[in-house]
Amino acid sequence: MGQLVVNGLALGSIYALVALGLLLIFNTVQIVNFAQGQLLMLGAFIGISCAVTHELPMAAAWAITMVAMALVGIVFMVLVYFPLRGRPAFLVILTTIAMGIVLENLALIIWGPLPVSLPSPVQGPPLRFAGVVVSMHQLFIFATLAVILFLQFLFLTKTRFGILMQATAQDLHTARLVGIPVNRTIAVAFALGAVLSGIAGLLVAPIFLAEPTMGGSLGLKGFVVSVIGGFGNLPGAVIGGLFLGLVETFGARYISSNFRDAYAFIVMITVLIAWPRGLFGEKSSEKV
Amino acid sequence: MRLELTSWPLFAGIIAAILAIPLLTQDGYIIQLLNIAILNAIVVLGLNFVTGWAGQINFGQAAFYGLGAYTTAIASKSGLPWITTPFLSAVVVIAASLMLGLPTMRLRTYYLAMTTIGFGEIIRLVIVHWEPVTGGTSGLRAIPGISIFGIGPQGQAQHYYLLVAALALAVSVATRVRHSALGRAMIATRDSEIAAEQSGVDTTRTKLFAFMIGAVYAGLAGCLYASSIRFISPDSFSGTQAILLMTMLIVGGMGSIAGSISGAIALTLLPEALRFLGQWYLVLYGLGVIAVIVMAPGGLASVASLSQWRRAGVR
Repeated sequence: MGQLVVNGLALGSIYALVALGLLLIFNTVQIVNFAQGQLLMLGAFIGISCAVTHELPMAAAWAITMVAMALVGIVFMVLVYFPLRGRPAFLVILTTIAMGIVLENLALIIWGPLPVSLPSPVQGPPLRFAGVVVSMHQLFIFATLAVILFLQFLFLTKTRFGILMQATAQDLHTARLVGIPVNRTIAVAFALGAVLSGIAGLLVAPIFLAEPTMGGSLGLKGFVVSVIGGFGNLPGAVIGGLFLGLVETFGARYISSNFRDAYAFIVMITVLIAWPRGLFGEKSSEKV
Repeated sequence: MRLELTSWPLFAGIIAAILAIPLLTQDGYIIQLLNIAILNAIVVLGLNFVTGWAGQINFGQAAFYGLGAYTTAIASKSGLPWITTPFLSAVVVIAASLMLGLPTMRLRTYYLAMTTIGFGEIIRLVIVHWEPVTGGTSGLRAIPGISIFGIGPQGQAQHYYLLVAALALAVSVATRVRHSALGRAMIATRDSEIAAEQSGVDTTRTKLFAFMIGAVYAGLAGCLYASSIRFISPDSFSGTQAILLMTMLIVGGMGSIAGSISGAIALTLLPEALRFLGQWYLVLYGLGVIAVIVMAPGGLASVASLSQWRRAGVR
């Protein structure tokens, strides 16, 4: 029981990280990136190329992955978002999905279809208390989530760029009129969003193996979390993520592990029927 | 309107070409592929009601396709006469579309995209794991063929003509709906939900109708798929297939009947023609979809009609 809680929370922390990456992009341009899971997969594989193939130290692998993902995020913005500024959200959903297909198949070409493992950056014996085993990697996941949540909160509310992002989100044209470098702000949002999903990839790969097709389902879980928590809501994303991790772990144990992936959607549809704007409400409303 | 009058020889030519194909090739594989392309065209026409006309994103279309196919396969394998299967399939998909549509048709873009993806995934998981009935991942084989009181098509070519007729029927129904009050309400809902509401259109009901009609198209195409291809597996109706159907509509041209059909046929045949590209095909495919959305948002249909207008001197 206690073990299930720990495992569920660790899984949920990763979902929360995916949702936090989505949130950065959504809070700036009101776009949901349906290729977030594929960005996560890319992060995991860049990490594997550095740490396993080229045998670099773990810290270097993490640093290289984060820089590479920031660049990927900017390229992604230029290809997928930029040409479609001001067009219906529906079309941007489709271009991000198409980009996800491109990334997944490029990964299949580069790294092949076989699952690969990435070692955890922290080593050491697991902690045990009262029959519950907490691995060092799980502790590391919790710590990473806490640090990122704190940094992201500071970044969005206290730094200049964070405030520029909020202004851009509220009204892109007015933001541009008052002299905010809108394009640069959006590029930063995409870069950071990609870095966050890259970190999530580096954290997932030691638990499950990394394979090019891993992104689809993890990306969708990120959206489910965003829906539960309310798009653009920072605490909502974290609570939603942890909640979903627990639901999946307990559902797989006590109901059926065959339908593991279905629980997320059942929870999401239930939440949407009861609270069409998510449990914690969505900040923005429809613009006329 | 002048276009319709001047372009009738073109239509006659296209129809003659469509009917002549089985006479030109004896290759059963090509006809089989064309049969699947026609079935996909019917499903994409259905999707066009929801996405092209009513403007609602829908990634559940492949699941409705699958529900129709599995209902038909299970019913006819258990000994029910074939003639009952289109009705059973229609009943099942209408029930499913109401179940999904009633609570979700008020939702906005992302939420709707997610719930329809979720619906498709749940249906797929049920098909995969309900093995005694659905055959699990290996699917169902030896499904009884189409037969109405003992009379049914034999061989690929006869199936081809039957499916062409089904597509023609689907097109004529779509054209009629498009020019009815319901069709105009769908377009109004797509263009501006708020303005449509102001003009007295019940947008939720309109969206629900579009969704249901689209589901029935997919369900009936699924029924024909099961009983003409005679083998089904969950892969044909997965989330990937749902995205593929959506891109067929986008590439062909949202809101256009000719576009829906040409998009479906082109993107069903293209992977076979470009098989030598291997994995690179899907990379180019994704980039191609982005290019179409960015450069020709109206799809192939808009490119074609633009050149036609230019030729007629209309700009």
